[in-house]
Amino acid sequence: MKILDVKGLTKTYSGINVVDGISFFVEKGEVFGILGPNGAGKTTTLEMIEALVKIDSGVVLIDGINVAEKPYEIRKIIGVQPQSPSFQDKTKLSELLEMFASAYGEKVNASKFLEDVQLLEKKNAYVETLSGGQKQRFSIATALVHSPKVFFLDEPTTGLDPQARRNLWELIKEIKSRGVTVILTTHYMDEAEMLCDRIAVMDNGKIIALDTPKNLIKQLLKRGFKKEQRVDQANLEDVFIDLTGKELRV
Amino acid sequence: MSMRKQLLTVLTFTKINTRRFFRDRLAIFFTVIFPLIFLFIFGSLFGKNSNVSFKVALINQSKSTFSATFVKEIEDNKLFKVNKNLTSLDQAKEKMNRGEIDATIVLPDSFGTQSETASYPSGQVEVYYSQNNTQAGTSLVSVLDGVLKGVNAQYIQISVPFTVKGEQTNDKGLSSFDYTFSGLLGFSIIGIGIFGPMSVFPELKKQGILRRLHTTTIRVWQYFMSTMASQAIIGLLSFAIQFVVAITVFDLKVVGNYFELGFFLLLSTVMILGIGLSLGGWAKNERQVAPLGNLITFPMIFLSGAFFPRFLMPEWLQKVSSFIPLTPVIDGIRLIATEGKHLTEIGTQLGLVGLWLVVIYVIAFRVFRWE
Repeated sequence: MKILDVKGLTKTYSGINVVDGISFFVEKGEVFGILGPNGAGKTTTLEMIEALVKIDSGVVLIDGINVAEKPYEIRKIIGVQPQSPSFQDKTKLSELLEMFASAYGEKVNASKFLEDVQLLEKKNAYVETLSGGQKQRFSIATALVHSPKVFFLDEPTTGLDPQARRNLWELIKEIKSRGVTVILTTHYMDEAEMLCDRIAVMDNGKIIALDTPKNLIKQLLKRGFKKEQRVDQANLEDVFIDLTGKELRV
Repeated sequence: MSMRKQLLTVLTFTKINTRRFFRDRLAIFFTVIFPLIFLFIFGSLFGKNSNVSFKVALINQSKSTFSATFVKEIEDNKLFKVNKNLTSLDQAKEKMNRGEIDATIVLPDSFGTQSETASYPSGQVEVYYSQNNTQAGTSLVSVLDGVLKGVNAQYIQISVPFTVKGEQTNDKGLSSFDYTFSGLLGFSIIGIGIFGPMSVFPELKKQGILRRLHTTTIRVWQYFMSTMASQAIIGLLSFAIQFVVAITVFDLKVVGNYFELGFFLLLSTVMILGIGLSLGGWAKNERQVAPLGNLITFPMIFLSGAFFPRFLMPEWLQKVSSFIPLTPVIDGIRLIATEGKHLTEIGTQLGLVGLWLVVIYVIAFRVFRWE
């Protein structure tokens, strides 16, 4: 079942199509990755789908609801993790969760949500005392307070240390296992390979490839691509993780 | 969403943001302590000792015993504040030109001496005042005239057919502090309603906090209403503290009803807050909002009669300024607090505040941007 259906989506800034008539769909329960160099139009695409930025042309349906026509209904069923989440200072984590839940007209069991993202012991801490990874995890908790059907994450692991990245991958897998559809953008290929069921590669506002990571690799090899043959049993990241452990730091 | 759920949003935001205010020392300083500093400055300027007195230099060139007694009498008189450092007319002139003293009283060397033929001493007091202080000068002349009449009466018995007697009529009259206090309250309404949101909103936008909120189902009116409620709570607290200090320290006389006053202050704060919400809600960043905010706020403070009476303005300016949003606020506070008027008697002010409330919030909703 298609939970997200995008057709001919276009955004024009001063005469240039930063998103140029792209079409794709996402199946319910999938983790879908949008990849591409900076300026490819990933964030603008997400923001149009999230009803934050006006759609210049094209149609976006989430769970059958037209985003341009009913943005308010869309907000009820989506959760959004912005590129660099920030929250008002001098406010406790439990209070922020309470505020976000109330924004949907709901009450929340803050402790449960904080436990899900391993931040229960920070319940009464102010948000500005969190580390980068903790802030990302907390932001995920705030985006899920209303049990959305589709969850958007914009570069969730940028700037995190390897431990925090791995931890966030686990969290995203866990969210997927609850049946939530996840749509994310990333610059990390290992991340895309690890997490995504399918990926779309964007460049200059267009989707230039869309398939499962495995198929994309196969297609490349079919075209005769050859990498210098090296059979490494480990890489530097493996060394780093071996030395410092998988355990999550603050 | 049901109304109850929508109000849950407002209540939760109000509760947590009010709590947050009390964790922010800088915010507490600017909304509670800062107005108190103003209160103390203006209080000591226009406070208890608001009776008219003349700051004078007294130069005694006479060596007679009469002039010595006269000097002492002047110095003891509450109407005069004698600057004893000034001993020559030249020194005194310099101070007069700067407005530091009102006038100079000179007792010439012949003052208080007794001529051989007379049975009593005589002399003429000379009063000098600068051109820019004619009013104080002429008043001082007539005051001294009165003093000398009393002295004369001791030496010559005369009956005067016509006299004049002045008497105070109303004990509810405004002291200059009572007047200033309404202005100070108006000033702190501006602080809470305009300067607050004007600096907070662009910051929230810069950090993307409002944008993040916009991805939820919160509506602008819910966000406005919660801001309104928490600013109103903070405002009433700040006003209450100012009243307590003004009454206990500076003898402010409040003759009106506190509930009516509270209601009017609340309504005024909400109305003025609309200006802050418009400015902060419209601006993309602080650089954009600061000049516009100052352009609106400062003329409003000066033209509203917050710090000096509007009747001193030229007639056309009085007419224009009577319609600006802060004027009915200041007038209303003054009418209720110091003149004991009821809400039913200040329909003009209530009407103007209400009208502005509608106009301002229509603008605020239109220009609001989440980012």
